[in-house]
Amino acid sequence: MKRDNKVRILVGTRKGTYVVEGDPSRRHWKVGPAAHVGSEVYHVVADPRHPGDIYAAVNSGFWGPTVQRSRNWGKTWKEIATPLSPMQKDRKPLFDDSGNQNEVERPIANLWHIEPGRPSEPDVLYLGADPHLLFRSSDLGASWAPNRAMNEHPKRKDWSPGAGGACLHTILLDPRSPDRMYVGLSAVGTFRSDDNGESWTPTNRGVEAPFLPDKHPETGQCVHDVAMDAADPDTFYRQDHGGMYVSHDRMGRWTRIGKPLGDDFGFTVASPSTAPGRAYFVRLDGMARVTGEGHFQVHEWNDRTRRWRKLLSPAAFPGHFGVHREGIATDTLDPPGIYVGTTTGHLFVSPDAGRSWQLVRYSFPGIHSVSVASPGAR
Amino acid sequence: MLDVHLDSWLREFGPRSHEKIAADSVDQLLDALESRYPRLRFKLRDETGQLRRYVRVFVDGEDVSATTGVATPLTQAESIDILHSIAGG
Repeated sequence: MKRDNKVRILVGTRKGTYVVEGDPSRRHWKVGPAAHVGSEVYHVVADPRHPGDIYAAVNSGFWGPTVQRSRNWGKTWKEIATPLSPMQKDRKPLFDDSGNQNEVERPIANLWHIEPGRPSEPDVLYLGADPHLLFRSSDLGASWAPNRAMNEHPKRKDWSPGAGGACLHTILLDPRSPDRMYVGLSAVGTFRSDDNGESWTPTNRGVEAPFLPDKHPETGQCVHDVAMDAADPDTFYRQDHGGMYVSHDRMGRWTRIGKPLGDDFGFTVASPSTAPGRAYFVRLDGMARVTGEGHFQVHEWNDRTRRWRKLLSPAAFPGHFGVHREGIATDTLDPPGIYVGTTTGHLFVSPDAGRSWQLVRYSFPGIHSVSVASPGAR
Repeated sequence: MLDVHLDSWLREFGPRSHEKIAADSVDQLLDALESRYPRLRFKLRDETGQLRRYVRVFVDGEDVSATTGVATPLTQAESIDILHSIAGG
């Protein structure tokens, strides 16, 4: 399809997928009909290399996970290939002759994240799944190949799931280097590959694991979300179970930045391409897992001044809102738009980098995922 | 030949509500169904070959999902129901 001038918010919910259309003013929105009704949709993302193409990670409670694609901005959808757990052909019994459980005997529980490849590799997609699996497609999802270095990692037996499952939920591609990429795994941490996924190096130095006896292990940190700074792909912003962090050296070392906020728990972070050095976090109460102090709030980190700014007053949107790891997105316009979907089904939009906010007038099912397709995205 | 009755929710993957299939086990029955309707693959069984959590198979009215499962012999069976279980309520 041709590029157009619309801004589209792609919303994955507990009960289906929605495409919300607006114009570049980002003040008027029209919610389209639901697709994948009844299924948990953990991630919906547009492919900026192929305008009109949208991918959805659809997890049916009855019929299992599927990858779905639309080629017309969500008007119609079709199931495409779904990756399989690497043990599919073995069909080993659940227990071996000695009564020990075969640890490999586990199907894919849920699909978590779909990442379109770089502009230089227009048919490549990456996909993260539970249990801690990474796949790559070189034919736009007609088939999937397992990333063996990750899916057969020798330390896998030591990896545990987080509360949301054993999800591989973050996939970040260095735009300058076809060989460098990063992944984030719940209750395991982050890894970097400098050889196009042939090997993976843990990158969790400096991140505290307050829930483990060893507070600074090589892996075991529960990363919730990571965003790459678009202007400086060596800089990353991280929302971990143990707080908010920044790294300026390709995840070589992390520095905690969230302590001035008090409780710096949360699940999500985004960094817009038109605001280098800025990152947006949704701070949650660490026990209740909803926005603290009884109101919706977003915090802006300015990495140049190393200061925080709270974007919303307590009176703006009172209430307790949960936000999942894919629940925040930014667009490619200037000033950047910020979009936040909540577990209460509210969709908040700021068209001006957080200065003003509105609610899209629609009650969605609980929102898992928000992403944006905006004019000019490549 | 077995009388196979299928959940109406499965129609989006191809099968009619009633199919006639010859099979000696639940596994064979599902293989035959998937052969006729490839989009059913991995919808009833996961990639380890086990029935998905909320899929129920009844053999002559008896739920075998949580007992003999896909290994259930069908040599004496006449009627199969494949349904989704209640989830909630």
